[in-house]
Amino acid sequence: MDIMEVNDLCKTYGKGEAKVEALKHVSFTLQKGEFAAVIGESGSGKSTLLNCIGALDEPTGGRILIDGQDLFAMTEEKRTIFRRRNIGFIFQSFHLIPELNVEQNIIFPLLLDYKKPDAGRVEEILDVLGLKERRSHLPGQLSGGQQQRVAIGRALITRPKLILADEPTGNLDRKNSQDVMELLTMASGQFQQTILMITHNPNLITSVDRVMQVSDGVLSNLGGHINEKLS
Amino acid sequence: MKNYLDLIPISSKIHRRQTRMTRWCIVISVFLVAAVFGMADMFLQSQKNMAKMEDGAWHVMFRELDEEQTALLAVRPEVKTFARYAATNYKLDRDYKVEGVQTVLCGFDETFFAIYPGAALLDGSFPKEMGEALVSESMRVRLGLFVGDEVEVETPDGSLRFRVSGIVEDTAMMLQTDAFGVFMNTETYLSCFRDVTLQEDFVYYVEFVPRCRIQRAIRDICGQLHIPKEMVSENAKLMGTMMQSSDQYIWKLYLIALILAVLVAVAGMIEIWGSMNSSVAQRTEFFGMMRCLGATAKQVRHYVRMEAFYWCLKAIPLGLFASVVTVWGLCRMLQTLTPTWFSKMPGFGISLPGLVCGSLIGLVTVLAASRMPARKASEVSPLTAVSGNADTVFAAKRAAHTGRMHVETALGLHHASGSRKHLILLTSSFAFSIILFLGFGIGVDFMGHAIVTLRPYTPDVAIVSPDNSCAIPDSLYQDLRKNAHIKRIFGRSFSYDLPIRMCGENKTVMLLSYEDYQFGWAEEDLRQGDMESVRDGEGVLVVDKTGFEPEIGNEIELETKTGARKVRIAGILSHTPFDSGENVGTVICSEDLFLQITGETGYTILDIQLWDQSDSVVEEIRQMAGETYRFSDSRESNRETRAVYFTFSLFVYGFLAVVALIAVFNMINTIAMSVSARMRQYGAMRAIGTSVRQLQSMIAAETLTYLIGGLAEGFLFGLPLHYYLYRQAITERWGDAWSLPVWECLVIGAVMIISAVAAMTGPVRRIRDMSVVETISL
Repeated sequence: MDIMEVNDLCKTYGKGEAKVEALKHVSFTLQKGEFAAVIGESGSGKSTLLNCIGALDEPTGGRILIDGQDLFAMTEEKRTIFRRRNIGFIFQSFHLIPELNVEQNIIFPLLLDYKKPDAGRVEEILDVLGLKERRSHLPGQLSGGQQQRVAIGRALITRPKLILADEPTGNLDRKNSQDVMELLTMASGQFQQTILMITHNPNLITSVDRVMQVSDGVLSNLGGHINEKLS
Repeated sequence: MKNYLDLIPISSKIHRRQTRMTRWCIVISVFLVAAVFGMADMFLQSQKNMAKMEDGAWHVMFRELDEEQTALLAVRPEVKTFARYAATNYKLDRDYKVEGVQTVLCGFDETFFAIYPGAALLDGSFPKEMGEALVSESMRVRLGLFVGDEVEVETPDGSLRFRVSGIVEDTAMMLQTDAFGVFMNTETYLSCFRDVTLQEDFVYYVEFVPRCRIQRAIRDICGQLHIPKEMVSENAKLMGTMMQSSDQYIWKLYLIALILAVLVAVAGMIEIWGSMNSSVAQRTEFFGMMRCLGATAKQVRHYVRMEAFYWCLKAIPLGLFASVVTVWGLCRMLQTLTPTWFSKMPGFGISLPGLVCGSLIGLVTVLAASRMPARKASEVSPLTAVSGNADTVFAAKRAAHTGRMHVETALGLHHASGSRKHLILLTSSFAFSIILFLGFGIGVDFMGHAIVTLRPYTPDVAIVSPDNSCAIPDSLYQDLRKNAHIKRIFGRSFSYDLPIRMCGENKTVMLLSYEDYQFGWAEEDLRQGDMESVRDGEGVLVVDKTGFEPEIGNEIELETKTGARKVRIAGILSHTPFDSGENVGTVICSEDLFLQITGETGYTILDIQLWDQSDSVVEEIRQMAGETYRFSDSRESNRETRAVYFTFSLFVYGFLAVVALIAVFNMINTIAMSVSARMRQYGAMRAIGTSVRQLQSMIAAETLTYLIGGLAEGFLFGLPLHYYLYRQAITERWGDAWSLPVWECLVIGAVMIISAVAAMTGPVRRIRDMSVVETISL
């Protein structure tokens, strides 16, 4: 079942001679529970692709459907609410809220929806992430790896249709990178989350189902399909 | 680049947007301080000018000096100008007349004109020869005199003739009392009037040299010349504006001014301090990076301080320039609106104290204010640059309480109150606006007490019956009413010392009549009763005073020429503009009732307010009135009163407006800086699904926290300050008890609330328009 469909996506910056085509007619789909990685060199357009899919940036052309809904046919307010409920984000620099503790950071998307978090679900996530002991700690009191785990928890709490991870291990050492990848793989397998991850670390793509490459704004499929391990 | 500090201008250029608000904050603070001090300086200068015009430029006046003392005093080195002065018939109570008109006779030295700039010589020259005299302008006009003509002054001892050597302006007193003035040199005066002049009417004016310590000079003069202290009077207003007064009350006013000056300076300091803190807080990562690259903590501290100094180089001159332009604007306004008083004021004057205070406070504050942020910056760990958690130095020490309220509200509250030091700093800066406003608000109360304002019933000119009888005929009233230049004319008839019986007791009253205008103006003094029935002639108004405690409905029995007449008390007035004297009551009735009681049809006084206040119109009215009645011209004294009130109001309300501006700028700047400092965080929140509306609520909660804290703190400290200043400036002088300054509180409260709402709009727009991608990738 396709959870995300990207059709003929284009993104252009600037005008005239300064015009840069960051994405050129990109099309692909992702199935439920699929863990895909996009690789590419710096400036190839991979982050632009992720930002467009996450509705953080508006494409110049094409369509993005998530769970059958056209992201850019919605008003800004509706798109924000849709993003909050259906797309989880994991950033390279974590972007946790320094004034909220671990547990509050994780349940933050639910609080924005004025929903009462399910205590069982919160416990489960804290347990999976290994943060039970640190639930009352502020981000400033955590290591980089722990902070990224909190960010993963925040992305998982709403059971979003899609998780977008932008270089999630970019700020972490090898051990923490490995832990994060294991968590993402588990989320994909255990919670049937669809994950699209951007990375330029070739070692990380061994854990994913499918790899795509962006080069000069053109996306090409490097192979793999759901539940097929490349390694 | 030769030095790491060369990075400052480069960094400032690149982070122009980030540092703009701090630079603006310095500009605004310097501007406010320099403008307030400059305005205060200009205020003192204007008051000094007015005092010189009104009361003269003399500092001290001596009485009853003998010839030796006079001679010694005149040649003392600290005396700049010395003038002898004597007057006869100043109160118009003696029989000195020219052509039947009461005349004031004065003798003075030529130096008197230097001491009294208000007494301008309009034509001719000072009377140097014996038998020469100056005459007043109105005397010249009415008697058709020219320089060189002769005038005859009738005195109780016979008549004296003087040759007119020149013409001088009328004084307000002469115009009001319709009197003439004849002025001669001291020698002529002494030869003619020495024996008839009262001892207290010989005075000796002294103007001291600039920068003289006047109180010490007075002590020296009195000691060395054996002059008793009682024979010395100070020009209180002028000495007050020169800060040389010996008056205890004036010294209290100086103390109040000092307190307010310190408050203004502190307000400027707090504002700069707050903005510098935020500016450094926003750049933690940068300082971490510097430490990473090998900068020592001391070097980072030095960097932050030098950066502050670099900002001052442009911000202080800009703030000073803005303040100078503002003060120029005020001076031009004064010159345009009251040219008579402020024509000599420099239109483009520079207030040195204002500029010095502005620059000093700006520089000292910025350097002092940069100490704490510099320390904070130097304490940033090199790890901060690489850890990705470098949003703010005011790092949260405890988590926000999201349990009981919406998360955005909880976060907004936490942004404001997360750091106690930060909260105290910001609320204090808001509170200071309130404290300053309440402090300067005393100026309004002081103005209300110290300056007599023109009342709605104040006439420009008046026609007065010379013997206080009802001699002015109604026909003159009717004729004047038809004059198109007259705005209002209203007459009063008086019956003095009228015997009455009230509550079984015999008393004496002054009975007077009002017409519609005067009844209308008396409404605000109506303590009890009904004005309508008095207007209709069915009752009378009685003024409440000791011995005359009237009650509504009681009857008064008046003894009239036609026998006893009973009238009902229909209204009680708290006071009237007319003093009936001790043990004499005041009863007011309609014109018809006055006629019925007294049988008089004429008026005692006709008050006239004019559309056109030109001399020709006044002369026309004077001609219509004829020579039978006394003509009182109050235009000059009204102008003086208006000028005094106007300048005082301009400065008092000017100060209040500047203080309110501090509140507005401070609020807008603080919120803008707070949002800027968290922009990256807001970007991340937007990315994970926080709506613009929720961020708006977050900023509103933060603003509201500062606002409530500021209001509470401001009133907590501002009201006791207001109480203290009120007691010093008002209660001790006029005895009025302090009451809660409701209007001041409402106005500054409203200004703060409106500023808070306005302060949110800019940041909310920035959040709405921000690119999430660009913001979080910064």
